[in-house]
Amino acid sequence: MEIPFIVNARKDTGLFNSKVGIWLFLASEVTLFGGLFSGYLFLRLYADYPWPERALPVLPGLINTFVLIGSSVTVVFAWAALKMREWRKFQIYMAITLLCAALFMVLKGIEYNAKFHHQAVQIEGPGPVQGKGIIEGHVHYAEIKDGKLTEVKDKDRYHDEGVFPANRILIKASELTFVLKRPTHEAYVKEILKQAGDDYKITLAKDYRVPDEDELHEGGKNRVQLLASGKALVADAGSELSIDLLEEMEDSFLEARSHDKDIRTDFLAASWDWIRDEKGDDDLSTYVVEKDIWKERRKEDAKKFGPLMLSAPGEVTFKVDPPLILVMKPGDIPQFSKEQVKFRDDTVVKGEVLPSPIIMGVDAIDFRHTAMRAEAEGIEPMKAIEVSWILTHTDSHGGNDLKKAWNCHMAWLKYQTERLEKEGRVPSDNDKYRVNWDEMVAYQKLDLDPEAVYKAAGEDALYHSSLFDLKGFAGANHNEFDFPHVEIPRENVGFESTLTPKWNTYYAIYFTITGLHGLHVIGGALVLGYYLFFGRKMYDSNPEWLANRVEVGGLFWHFVDLVWIFLFPILYLM
Amino acid sequence: MSADSQDHHEDHDHVLPFWKKYIFSTDHKTIGIQYGLSAGAFLLFGFFLMIVMRWSIAYPHEPIPGYLSWIFTDGWKARWLDDGMVTGETYNMFGAMHGTIMVFLGVVPLGFAAFGNYVTPLQIGAPDMAFPKLNMASYWAYLAGGLIMCMSFFMESGAAKSGWTNYSPLAGYADRQIVNQFLAGQTQWLIGLVLLITSSLLGSVNFVTTIIQLRAKGLTWMRLPFFVWAMLVTGFLLLLAFPPLEAAGIMQLMDRVTGSSFFMPSGLFSKEDGVLDISGSGSPLLFQHLFWFLGHPEVYVLLLPAIACVAEIIPCNTRKPLWGYKPMVWSIVALGFLSFVVWAHHMYLTGMGPVISTFFQTTTILISVPSVILLTSMIISLWGGSIRFTMPMIWAAAFLPMFGIGGLTGLPLAFNLADLHLHDTYYVIGHFHYVVAPGILFGLFAGVYHWYPKMTGRFMDNFLGHLHFWPSLICMNLLFFPMLTQGMAGFHRRWYNGGEGYIEKGTEGINVFGQTVAENISLNEVMTGAAIGLAIFQLPFLINMVVSYFWGKKITSDNPWDATTLEWATPTPPGHGNFTFDPAIYRGPYEYSRPDHDKDFFPQWEEPKRSIPAEEPSEKPDKETTEA
Repeated sequence: MEIPFIVNARKDTGLFNSKVGIWLFLASEVTLFGGLFSGYLFLRLYADYPWPERALPVLPGLINTFVLIGSSVTVVFAWAALKMREWRKFQIYMAITLLCAALFMVLKGIEYNAKFHHQAVQIEGPGPVQGKGIIEGHVHYAEIKDGKLTEVKDKDRYHDEGVFPANRILIKASELTFVLKRPTHEAYVKEILKQAGDDYKITLAKDYRVPDEDELHEGGKNRVQLLASGKALVADAGSELSIDLLEEMEDSFLEARSHDKDIRTDFLAASWDWIRDEKGDDDLSTYVVEKDIWKERRKEDAKKFGPLMLSAPGEVTFKVDPPLILVMKPGDIPQFSKEQVKFRDDTVVKGEVLPSPIIMGVDAIDFRHTAMRAEAEGIEPMKAIEVSWILTHTDSHGGNDLKKAWNCHMAWLKYQTERLEKEGRVPSDNDKYRVNWDEMVAYQKLDLDPEAVYKAAGEDALYHSSLFDLKGFAGANHNEFDFPHVEIPRENVGFESTLTPKWNTYYAIYFTITGLHGLHVIGGALVLGYYLFFGRKMYDSNPEWLANRVEVGGLFWHFVDLVWIFLFPILYLM
Repeated sequence: MSADSQDHHEDHDHVLPFWKKYIFSTDHKTIGIQYGLSAGAFLLFGFFLMIVMRWSIAYPHEPIPGYLSWIFTDGWKARWLDDGMVTGETYNMFGAMHGTIMVFLGVVPLGFAAFGNYVTPLQIGAPDMAFPKLNMASYWAYLAGGLIMCMSFFMESGAAKSGWTNYSPLAGYADRQIVNQFLAGQTQWLIGLVLLITSSLLGSVNFVTTIIQLRAKGLTWMRLPFFVWAMLVTGFLLLLAFPPLEAAGIMQLMDRVTGSSFFMPSGLFSKEDGVLDISGSGSPLLFQHLFWFLGHPEVYVLLLPAIACVAEIIPCNTRKPLWGYKPMVWSIVALGFLSFVVWAHHMYLTGMGPVISTFFQTTTILISVPSVILLTSMIISLWGGSIRFTMPMIWAAAFLPMFGIGGLTGLPLAFNLADLHLHDTYYVIGHFHYVVAPGILFGLFAGVYHWYPKMTGRFMDNFLGHLHFWPSLICMNLLFFPMLTQGMAGFHRRWYNGGEGYIEKGTEGINVFGQTVAENISLNEVMTGAAIGLAIFQLPFLINMVVSYFWGKKITSDNPWDATTLEWATPTPPGHGNFTFDPAIYRGPYEYSRPDHDKDFFPQWEEPKRSIPAEEPSEKPDKETTEA
């Protein structure tokens, strides 16, 4: 069987099949990205926080724009070479196209990686408005020494065992309670056992016993006797925590629960049969369950099935000896108090929550949200900012580098305001309320001296990251520059995240839309790569067919390029 | 296709191994049947979920009876039932999955993918779809998506439980306790959905390309059977409406897996977790817009294949042309366009503002015009025909009033003001179930009975057919009509106990719905009985499908209904490659009872005799369309 119009065009439409197909597919792609772009608009227009503008490093995006445009040209050259039956040229142009795709993805990877390592923290603490300021930077590393969180200064040790990013929550656990109806403890149990190693014993606090079903139904034994029987023992007190042990108890619990529910269901069904006989179908209404006759019957039922219940305990507790300091990600702990935390799967850890500050090098301070809130509430923004924890705390050396940096910023802002006034302009919110990473570098270089900053600003001698400054290629470079160090106590940590989709809707749409675009680049490159590396056979037998395929792949490639041409200004420049 | 390639092809057909011929087949007919059987199985499963729900509605304090609960394991019952009774959470899970399965896994694949795949290439004289491998990929993506969604019933979280519309923030928050979010039912739903959308995109590209490119010579646009037009428009709807939902699905997936807040507003609080650890500032309304941008065209994706089947069956069984073929074609095209600008009539209650509501109210009223043209044309087509009440025709005839009720009950919902009262009540449920169940499903049943002889070479049994039809018709109405009454009385669609909690026994109560709920609550039992009856009377159909395949009455010609469209020109069942000759088309699709022709049907492919004058009203065969 041959499908017509694979190679040659149908005369009335003037198109071969796959060309129709790709245009239709691209139409659907337009609505796919249209949905995402309208999502961007919606989120930006209705954002209840200051939308980040020009928050991304422009250079990688700009290079990527030219790389993709270039590859769109070379893919056309590759197609033209095929049309002219010049295989060698086709190979060269297609290889360049693929190299461009690879370069695009590498740059994208560098950009993403920078974001994945860039921490942001909303500060909690005193102040008249809800937003208390944001600190951005790189999280340092820490370890537990003498039962306390201690920063690791030596960068070479960052990947050693027992060293972890200093944004974790530490719990000195003495007791763990698992909920058996939730058979998904595996992830946390593995983590706990890994952290416990061989030095800690995590053992079952008391026997886990479930009455034996057969013994129960034989009768003659009360509940105490049933539980005392050897057959009731599922796990001994003192058994060490393991996934297998938990699973065994979970199975017994669920089996017992099935057994109990089964019996209760039978009793309930029998009571319904009874009441139907008693009252007749016509006299039944849904209110019947509220009537005394029904309530009496159910009471009697309960008396009858009560002794038949296995009633397995739904929770098991393990003792940790000696108490183990667990290091957990904040996202795993939706709620915690001083004495206990609850993991996402309802596992409860009792003990003591230890001081768990976030330790980081700060490359940006952002009070825009504070200012926005203050203005909305009729408060002078600077008044709300001044009392923020960021500017009022005292660090372990008795100082506050962030306060100093902010004073430098004020000095720069003074200069900037004076400069702009001459042009009849005023500083933007970004100018006023945000200290950016390159500012931070400039102030550090001037020993955080506001007067020196004011002077340097006047002489245009402040460090300023320009478009082609490779040191700040992907943003704040913590290997290259020094940034102020801060320890944020856990009680002053509000919402925190790396600059990933979680941080805000801007990064959410940025990652989603560029990620999906990246997948399109990879998909397109795979298809074009297939033609390059495996196309020779088809070229020899039916070169026009291969040319058609490359043409269709090229159309897709142009679309991918076009999407980026929209994305670049929207995400990087606006 | 040349005779040589056909021969080659038939040889090829014999050597295909079983798995290639029946499992990973690229033949559009096999794929159509695969879609049909899979969709049928999903429909039965979705129907089962609904019966369990209806049990809970009618008998909320009674354990599910053994004939429904045998399918559940003890462990499952222990976790999801409360002493054998359906819990609110389980009801929500079943409700969400009932809707999802019926729409995405049942009716759309049955109407568009199964019938479309089997019939479209045959009707346009094509050897197969334009991209056979893509066609196969489309089916397997669909099956994988469907199975992934359904398998989540066995997960610790259970299946998705936030309604078939999966509105955030509920859907963004549900199953948060699961540590690995990829193993949460709510996430699996999204993954399944992305696969289903991929499947339908591949399918729609294939359909539209096939119809544009592979029409036989002489088959000009206005000679296309109405069925093909419907598939073309449906293809475009799927192609352009589904991707925004895919965007929404991806964003919701991000919300669940990466903790983003696309659809999660600021300040969300839950009893378990306190203030949620999210950034907020997302827009739940955005999800609704993206969902309904697909959701409404999806209604027409459901409907058009059924109308398409009925529009083929009516002329064939009235032995007269389809009345108003051209207006019907233009109507369906207009319907396609308009269906993209009515979506927010599902959102009147979100408070989008009177201006937006008025706009969507207007477009919604506009879209009823082409719908009415379609239905009216088909009703007028009956007028003066010598109707053969064959099994397909009976189903098709029942489709007309049933779909009529479904359509007309939609009009009040189009109006913002009336919708404020009726939104989310059983009235809405009654309305769209009238459209989908006795409407669309009857149309599709008609299609099964109509094309079964082409697929198998045997007719379906008439007695079993009647035993299927009449009780189904009665049960459908007993099931869905009371919903309209209950809805007007204020019954909410998500009451898992049928409204029992709202009954007001005294006359002085403050609950304004209490009295009307008390008056109408007994209808719950009628509907539950009807649902069970409906299930029972699908058995004759299932038996018929199997029994007729082996022992049904054999057809005596390749064109057993004396029909005019091209699928009846193929051998029965058609082989791989479909046609044994190079088909050419000489006239329109519904040339029945022409006075200048000796038989009462004049097939599209039959060469005109020289003595017959120029073909009217059809256009001349297009020489241009021959193969290059």
